[in-house]
Amino acid sequence: MSKEMKFKKIVAQYCTVEVGEMKRSSRFREDLGFSSLDFMSLLGELEDEFDLNIEEENMESVLTIGDALELIDNLKMAG
Amino acid sequence: MEKRYPLTAAQKMHDSWIRQYRTQQVSGLSIVAALQTEFDFDILEKCIREETKRYGCMRVRFTRTGKTGKTQQYIISKDEREVPIKDLTGMSLQEADNVMQNWAYETFDGDDIPMCEVYMVKLPENYNGFFVHMDHRLIDSCAVMVMTGDILKLYTHYRYGGEYPDELADYEMQLKADLEKSANTRRFARDKKFWDEQLDMYGEPLYSDIQGPQVLDEARKRHGDAQLRSADIERKELFVQVKDYKLEPEAAGILMRFCEDNRISMTNLLLLGIRTYLSKQNGGQQDISVQNFISRRTTKDEWTSGGSRTIMFPCRTVIAPETDFIDATNIVQNIQNHIYMHSNYDPAYIYDEIRKRYNTPEDTTYESCYLTYQPMSAKIDNKYLAGIPVHARWFANGAATKKMYLTVTHTDDGGMNFSYHYQTVQLGEKDVELMHYYLCRILFRGVEDKKRTIGEIMAMV
Repeated sequence: MSKEMKFKKIVAQYCTVEVGEMKRSSRFREDLGFSSLDFMSLLGELEDEFDLNIEEENMESVLTIGDALELIDNLKMAG
Repeated sequence: MEKRYPLTAAQKMHDSWIRQYRTQQVSGLSIVAALQTEFDFDILEKCIREETKRYGCMRVRFTRTGKTGKTQQYIISKDEREVPIKDLTGMSLQEADNVMQNWAYETFDGDDIPMCEVYMVKLPENYNGFFVHMDHRLIDSCAVMVMTGDILKLYTHYRYGGEYPDELADYEMQLKADLEKSANTRRFARDKKFWDEQLDMYGEPLYSDIQGPQVLDEARKRHGDAQLRSADIERKELFVQVKDYKLEPEAAGILMRFCEDNRISMTNLLLLGIRTYLSKQNGGQQDISVQNFISRRTTKDEWTSGGSRTIMFPCRTVIAPETDFIDATNIVQNIQNHIYMHSNYDPAYIYDEIRKRYNTPEDTTYESCYLTYQPMSAKIDNKYLAGIPVHARWFANGAATKKMYLTVTHTDDGGMNFSYHYQTVQLGEKDVELMHYYLCRILFRGVEDKKRTIGEIMAMV
């Protein structure tokens, strides 16, 4: 399974939008209906699933699925 | 034999209160959901029995392990008890509520027994429905709403041919997932680091009371320690009163628009209001801690698996009086976001660490106020029952573990309800009135001019 698919499957647990309907431009709050708690819980889960440490300064820049995937890539490369 | 599981952190919280206060009454949760219409009670009974099969949390029982005496849980596969019908007609609705209130005081005493009781009720004024009394370790308020909605969907399916409700997530599967998550050592280390860093940064928390600094002063005298930073918890006189205040739709709309325009959650706005009130009452104290309840329901399975997923964490902020209201909301929001990220942690460990570092005396606390904000509407979402008057009520269990517990909800007309549960041995109605009055004034002075400083607002209200 690709990283993107794995990621979208995790996101799908938090919302009513199907994996197939998710786009890279889908916004967590506006398009997927995430609350703050949902979003922060998702970040915690991403840390576990992708073996990352997400720092505070990284969180604010994540607004869309594409942003999150990019962050995972960047942190993976840095790590 | 059914598999035994340990309790989750949220369940442990209630379990420890039962032990500390020595009564299961502190863990009672009761509601009535009735509609002003004729009910077919044979169908309703079938639905309640079916719900017992669908909603695994209703079949949870507790037991104790031999040596440690630790509470464990298991899920029985079948619970085929009758669902009694109670006739409370022939009295006023208020009198019927009083009868049900007394049922809410009942306790589930013992191990290996059902921790859930459901009655069908015939109420005055042609209200009919059901009353549920459960142990809080089995269910929380969100889960009660899911259960109520599900029973009514089953009812309208069998009675009117409505759609059969969607499947609910399996309680046992979710429990296993939760326990697995909490056993993740890497996550545990990250969560512990966050909470420990709070203490590294600010040191020992400092108690602030609704009634002002004299409460801490008295605790200091009692303990013979002039530097004491925590105050005593009432363990014996637990009687609770409830006082509700309605915020009209127009005023509630102002708060909601502020939250929307500034991307601030209502929880964080309320937390700021409460902490500012406490600061005002305690001579401008800047270091304030308020307990906030979080419902760990984010995924779809977490939403529909029932159980008790509500847990409280201290929201500790240090805010200087020259801070703008909007900056202060962001300080609260920032810390809360971090708390959300680390909310799988068992809060008992936070206090273990505090006790280890600062030798906090037993039976003392750093927080006098507890907040629950429920964004979820209690409205029954069922097209077959639309327009039918509803009599839905939560009944207090009559034993408060907290000095002041504020629950804020939204009402059907667009307003908000502020429900204060307070220990009568410590607080009177006047204290509650004052708190609500100042809390509202603080919020509205801040919202009408977000560049006002916290110090200015405290001086104005």
